[in-house]
Amino acid sequence: MAEKHITKPRAHAIVLCTLTLASCLMLAQQNAPNTQGVTPPPGSPTPTPARMTFFVTSVGLGKGGDLGGLAGADAHCQALAAAVGAGGHTWHAYLSTQARPGQPAVNARDRIGTGPWFNWSFAQLGAPQNAIISADLAELHGDTLVQAQRGSNLFKQSTRNEHGQVIHGIGDTPPIQHEILTGSKWDGRAYMDNADHTCNNWTSSSTGSAQVGHSDRIGNGSSWNSSNATKGCSQAALESSGGAGLFYCFAIN
Amino acid sequence: MTKIKTSALLLSCTVSLASCLLLAQVQRPGEYPRGEKPSPMMNFFVTSEPIGDGGNLGGLAGADAHCQVLATAVGAGNRTWHAYLSTQARPGQPAVNARDRIGKGPWYNFQGEMIAQDLAHLHGDTMELAHQGNNLNKLTGLTEKGQIVPGLYDYSDPRDNDWSYAKTTRFSTRHEMLTGTQTDGTAFTDGVDHTCDNWTSNKSPAPGTSNGNLNAADGRPNAEIGFPDRNGGGSGSWNSAHGTRGCAQADLPKTHGIGLYYCFATN
Repeated sequence: MAEKHITKPRAHAIVLCTLTLASCLMLAQQNAPNTQGVTPPPGSPTPTPARMTFFVTSVGLGKGGDLGGLAGADAHCQALAAAVGAGGHTWHAYLSTQARPGQPAVNARDRIGTGPWFNWSFAQLGAPQNAIISADLAELHGDTLVQAQRGSNLFKQSTRNEHGQVIHGIGDTPPIQHEILTGSKWDGRAYMDNADHTCNNWTSSSTGSAQVGHSDRIGNGSSWNSSNATKGCSQAALESSGGAGLFYCFAIN
Repeated sequence: MTKIKTSALLLSCTVSLASCLLLAQVQRPGEYPRGEKPSPMMNFFVTSEPIGDGGNLGGLAGADAHCQVLATAVGAGNRTWHAYLSTQARPGQPAVNARDRIGKGPWYNFQGEMIAQDLAHLHGDTMELAHQGNNLNKLTGLTEKGQIVPGLYDYSDPRDNDWSYAKTTRFSTRHEMLTGTQTDGTAFTDGVDHTCDNWTSNKSPAPGTSNGNLNAADGRPNAEIGFPDRNGGGSGSWNSAHGTRGCAQADLPKTHGIGLYYCFATN
């Protein structure tokens, strides 16, 4: 009898607790961006992953700014693309390297073909909104004043990874991963000064710094490819300012 | 024994609830910040409410008055408020450029965060400034009540496109700001409507003339819009991304607007 009296309020407590927690979690869920990709509406064309020619890497290489040079970064793009059925393209990382004795600089914009580039949504849904990233290099980089003022179609909801997920940006639930490695100036070209902007041409996971852009175009202005420098090149340094060592991948064919 | 278990249960419940509430504390789009008043520095906001008659704002005067009323309601009526809107030239009536109506800056939002240093920073007058961008974004483009303006996918609902739903739902997508301007903040000069007939028209296009095309065309009622969240419309431009499906109030939600616009204090 006594046992029963104690058990009953306990059961109530459990139910009440579960209910409050559930509703609270539901509330919190609305802070998260759409990270599950898009469910194709009924009647959509068959998903064609090969039509995707742009994505942000879903994961980095885990060693901060050391990507194994451009070759290592390109291979990462290729492997991630192949894993989702888009390996038929030749993929390049959007990264610049700086000039060294006997070694000219490489400009990110010269590595990515001529466009147009399409994101995951286009591959999965046919031609929904926000599927085209940019028509060409000039629009992507804002080569004219009007193009620069307007911006390209590369913004938070279109800048998805190879699984169709939106990259967590400012205002989303942590971890925020919107600092995307580029090593580039806003025109898509390499820096010509002597400071490190590329984690020693993507081989350093300790000293140095890398220029990053923001996939959500929020923070330090609104540049997708050149907004600020990282505090260092270790994985921890990248994560300390809202990055994860992710980078942009473009298909060149 | 049972008593200890119960209190342990309650404790763990309280702890998880507390951490959960901490998570939920991030302000969601459309929400009011609890108990907060605008910064005394506020001289920029997005209107929290539309006038409600589509592109008919009662001209620039009507639009300015709406800014003033909204500002006054939150204790910021001591400034002179102007709507960020252009009007196009008419016979005997020169064009008005939105950028010439809003003072010189710097401009600050509800939280006292700087939106832009000056007119050149706001509009990106040089290549350097244009690439850098201004500080207007989803978290700074706040209404006079401090709300984040709901944008793409925030509360994704097909009814967002329906004015009767959007009218009563504060959380519906509504991130298209009427501007009627080009990217540099000046009025259009091409002779087709980008301003809902200088903010006096609430007309829909004749049937069959829209075809889903958002570009302005001869004879079609239309207004140029931009996005405070820099997210959508082919460019993410804050002031000049694309046009609307028409000028009736019911036309605006079809592309995720409800007739909101930017207000700036000129002093």
